[in-house]
Amino acid sequence: MSSHREAPEISKDPVADSSDLYAFVSPDDPDTVTIIANYVPMQLPASGPNFFEFGDDVLYEIHIDSNGDARPDLTYQFRFRTELRNNKTFLYNTGQIKSLDDKNWNRRQFYSVTKVDAHGKSTVLAQKLPCPPCNVGKLSIPDYDKLAEDAVKKLRTGEKVFAGQRADAFFVDLGSIFDLGTLRPFQDKHLVGKTVFNYAGKAVNALAELNVHSIAIQVPLSAVRRNGKKSVRGRDRDAVIGVWTSASRRQVQVRHGDKKNEDVEVGPQVQVSRLGNPLFNEVIVPMAEKDKWNSLPPSEDKRFAGFVEKPELAGLLPVLYPKLFDKLDALNKAGKPRADLVAILLTGIPDGIIDNFQNNTGDVKADMLRLNTAVPPAKKENKFGVLGGDLAGFPNGRRIADDVVSISLRAIAGVTVPLVDKNFKPDAAAALVEQGLSVNDSKAKLLKRFPFLGTPFDGFNNPK
Amino acid sequence: MSRVRYGSRTGNRLSRRRVLAIAATAGVGASVAGVAGLSLAGESSSSSGDGGPLVLSLRDASKGTFDVFSGGSRKTLTDKKLAERLLKAAKG
Repeated sequence: MSSHREAPEISKDPVADSSDLYAFVSPDDPDTVTIIANYVPMQLPASGPNFFEFGDDVLYEIHIDSNGDARPDLTYQFRFRTELRNNKTFLYNTGQIKSLDDKNWNRRQFYSVTKVDAHGKSTVLAQKLPCPPCNVGKLSIPDYDKLAEDAVKKLRTGEKVFAGQRADAFFVDLGSIFDLGTLRPFQDKHLVGKTVFNYAGKAVNALAELNVHSIAIQVPLSAVRRNGKKSVRGRDRDAVIGVWTSASRRQVQVRHGDKKNEDVEVGPQVQVSRLGNPLFNEVIVPMAEKDKWNSLPPSEDKRFAGFVEKPELAGLLPVLYPKLFDKLDALNKAGKPRADLVAILLTGIPDGIIDNFQNNTGDVKADMLRLNTAVPPAKKENKFGVLGGDLAGFPNGRRIADDVVSISLRAIAGVTVPLVDKNFKPDAAAALVEQGLSVNDSKAKLLKRFPFLGTPFDGFNNPK
Repeated sequence: MSRVRYGSRTGNRLSRRRVLAIAATAGVGASVAGVAGLSLAGESSSSSGDGGPLVLSLRDASKGTFDVFSGGSRKTLTDKKLAERLLKAAKG
């Protein structure tokens, strides 16, 4: 998974669990960047009577670093508040919901947006913005798309925001990958798989037809770039931003049982979840360190750089797929740190390595989703992003349809080593390895405009 | 929804599950050392003086070191006698 349940502690706290982070120059408004942070992963659409929602006791944040120091120059904070309309019913809705203030909708959620600048100055941009309801079913919500559109709000300061349920468009074959690193298309070549299979398998998207809660914001590029530049050249360092999301909870909670009104949440916010690059905490950081990683800011990531320089998965591939990754095996045994992966994940790719491209933020090693904002949206996306010659895709930011699992697999398998070592010839398998899925396997129909993630799967028809 | 929430944030990295709240009482008379917490818009920074709750966590009984959670901040105080009284009360 990108970051769904990626660490032991946060896997038990889904309301605060960031599952995916996307950042891309907006195809519907190329003078803006769209950032989407997904939380509350793996929602079964049929989840009544208590449908999913954000945590009223969680501080959700989207951070943007404009100057490469891995500290936020701009943070958007989102705080939620749930209101119950009718305390005499067990129902989420007592009739059809036809508008965001429909009296039949019993349990509604609202949120505020606060902007924090590089000096820590906070400005509340909006309060009591409505979330759309969860997609209960066609009978309860006859026109869900309209409600969702009504929940897209333009702020006076220029940002566009949306917070609420969406169809999870991430795609990954969890079942096979975490069963001894099996990739179904290559299962007959797997160390153990070849004793069971004599044919290539078809991948299964473990997240198909599940929902998620998204916090989406579209921000003018001039507001996120260093020095507020409206126009910038691609080679300019000021074109590149680093993005990550975090969720925090109060340090102390005291529960009073039946006297719920007396429950106390007090003390500083403590970060419990973080996400920049997909799969970083999930696949790079050892299990014993994952909870700690979630509690730290990107500026502390140098302490995890060793796991990037010598990733565990790079050592496993030659073992799990005998004779397919001999060159990777030799590279591993040479013990040279993987400068290609450090560039991709921790510093950004410097100018001069890939033609007409860079997304480098300097020497500070930090896991951030780096986006060169001068690269316009692709007319036709390639799901392999930069590896597929599409400079508008991962690891230049991340779009919804980017196959970040396969891109990461190929990079770890050695495809990107020649970027830093022209004498290295990757294994033929490295350029072929993939999980065998695309965004179409999510069955979540994407929107052509903000917030881009599609209508949530409804509870009446799902699961099928 | 109706829970009492106060606060601000700091770079504190303690796991929330490691915090043992042993008392929720105001009126502790002791010197306070160390300040944590920034006030943020959208969050009240009210403290026990505003009638909000205050939570004490005894971090080191032998030294009488407390973490005092009030509003959105955590402060540290040292009071061996208070520690002894609270431990006695806890054994009750």
